[in-house]
Amino acid sequence: MRHEIRLKIGPVRFRVGSDWAGPVAALRSLYREYPAADGVPDYSVRLEATRPWRRFIRPSVAVRGDHMLPDALPLDLAHGVLAAEIGMNLQLALGERRWLLLHASSVARDGRALIMTGESGSGKSTLAAVLAARGWRLMGDEFALVDLVTGEVRAFPRATSLKNEAIDEMLLHVAEDRFGAELIGTPKGRLRHLRPDARAIAAMDEPATPALILFPRFGPPEGAEAMGEAETFVRLTQASTNYVPLRRAGYDALTRLVTSVPAVAVDYPDTDSAVALVEHLWAGL
Amino acid sequence: MDEPEATAGVPTRRMLMLGAAGASMVVTIRPALAQTAGSVLTCEIPVPEPRQRGQWIAEDGTVVPPYTKDAVRPPSRPLKGEDVRKALRDRRLLPGTSYEQTQAYTRYMQRLQNGNSGFTCFVSLKMR
Amino acid sequence: MLEGFAVVYHPASGATHLLASPVPEILATIAPGRGAATVAEILQRLAATFDLDGDGLAVVTARLAELEAAGLVRRA
Repeated sequence: MRHEIRLKIGPVRFRVGSDWAGPVAALRSLYREYPAADGVPDYSVRLEATRPWRRFIRPSVAVRGDHMLPDALPLDLAHGVLAAEIGMNLQLALGERRWLLLHASSVARDGRALIMTGESGSGKSTLAAVLAARGWRLMGDEFALVDLVTGEVRAFPRATSLKNEAIDEMLLHVAEDRFGAELIGTPKGRLRHLRPDARAIAAMDEPATPALILFPRFGPPEGAEAMGEAETFVRLTQASTNYVPLRRAGYDALTRLVTSVPAVAVDYPDTDSAVALVEHLWAGL
Repeated sequence: MDEPEATAGVPTRRMLMLGAAGASMVVTIRPALAQTAGSVLTCEIPVPEPRQRGQWIAEDGTVVPPYTKDAVRPPSRPLKGEDVRKALRDRRLLPGTSYEQTQAYTRYMQRLQNGNSGFTCFVSLKMR
Repeated sequence: MLEGFAVVYHPASGATHLLASPVPEILATIAPGRGAATVAEILQRLAATFDLDGDGLAVVTARLAELEAAGLVRRA
C-alpha cells in the first residue's frame, strides 16, 4: 500500500496500510511517543478506497484486514483515524487467541489492576482517563487482555477514544496538547483521541494482577453493590469478544478471574463521586 | 414417611428442593459476538451431512435409511443459520416445515459434534 | 460451583452452561458409569441420597427436557 505505519501497543503489533497519506500521518502523530514497532506484525489493517476512483472523488474508506465484516459501512476520509482504530479493534477482537479479551478499561496501582467493564456509554473509557490523570497507570481504555495461563492483565494502552461530552470533561483534567485532532460528524458523534501519558507508554509491557472488577453505570443515585460470582461470570462472557472461540482455555481463565477477584456494580452521578467510590473500594480490598 | 434419625457420626440426609417444573434452571451462555462488530454471521447447516445425503432423519435426530417408520424427509437445501436461530429463539417451526420435521431437524443439530458439517454454525447460533 | 450454580463447560460443543440446583444433582444420577435411567429411576437414585421436596416426576421431566435442549443429555 502507498502509505504505512507500524505500531506496537502493549504486546500487540499492527501494520496499518492506507491508500491515503492523511490517516497514516494522523496515526503517526498520535503514537509519536510510542517505541518503534519492530518484528512481525500480528495484524494488518488496510484502509482502502472502495473503488479506484474513490481515492479522489468523495473519498470513503473501507476497512479491511485478515478478519473482515461483510456488512461494514465505509467511513469518510476525514475520519480516517477512526477507521484505523475500528480496523485495529476488529482484528484484535476477532483474531486474538493468546489472551482472553474483555471489553473493559483498566488502570493499575502498585502492580494491581482495576478492570472496569460495560457497554458503550457506561463511561469506562472516561473513568480510566480520569483515574490516569489522578495518578493511576493507564493500562487500556477499551480492551483488557487476560493471560490464559497466569491470569494477569496485560496493558493495551492505545490512544483513548473520547466522545462528545467526555472530551470537554477531560479537557478540564489534561493539557490540550495530549489530544489529537477533533473529528466531527462521525457515526459516534464528536470524537477526539487522548494520548496516554509517558508513564503508561513506558510501562506498557508490565502486567498487573487483577484485584477489582467494576461494572460502572453513569447516573444517580450513587451506589455500589457487590455482584455474585455467577452473575459476574455471565456478564463477563457478554463483555468478552473471544470467550467462545477460546473454548476450554477461555472457560478456565474466566472461572479463575471470577472466583479470585471481587466484582462490584457501581452507579455514579459524576466523575468525582466515581473516583471517590473507586478509592473507597480499593482501600477496602 | 419416617424421618431418619441422626446418629452420632452419621450425617443427616440433605433436603433437595426440586423447585417448580415450569421454572428454567439451565442457562446456556450466549455471549454477543464481537461487540465492536454488530454484523451477523451467515452460515448454513446441511441436514444431514453431505456424506449422508439421501438419508432421512428420525424423531430423535439420528440419520436413518429413507422411508424408515416415523422418520422425516431431509430438507432440500441446507438450513440457513438465521432461520435456525430465530426458530430456536422464538420456539417456532423452521420455515416451510412441519412440527415433526422441525423437531427431527433440531434434534439432529443438537447431536452434531466437532468435526461434523454445520457444527460450528449451530454452536455459534446458540451462542447469541 | 459459583455461588449456588454449577458452571459446566461442554467440550464437544464448546458451550458453557449455568445449572441451578437440582439440575447438577439430576445430572450426577446419570453420570458416565451410572448407566441410563428412566425418570422414575432418576428419582429413585436421587432419593437414595436426598430427601426430595416437590413434584419429582414433573420437575425431573422438565429439567431433562432443558438438559436435552442444551445438548447435555440425550435419550438412550
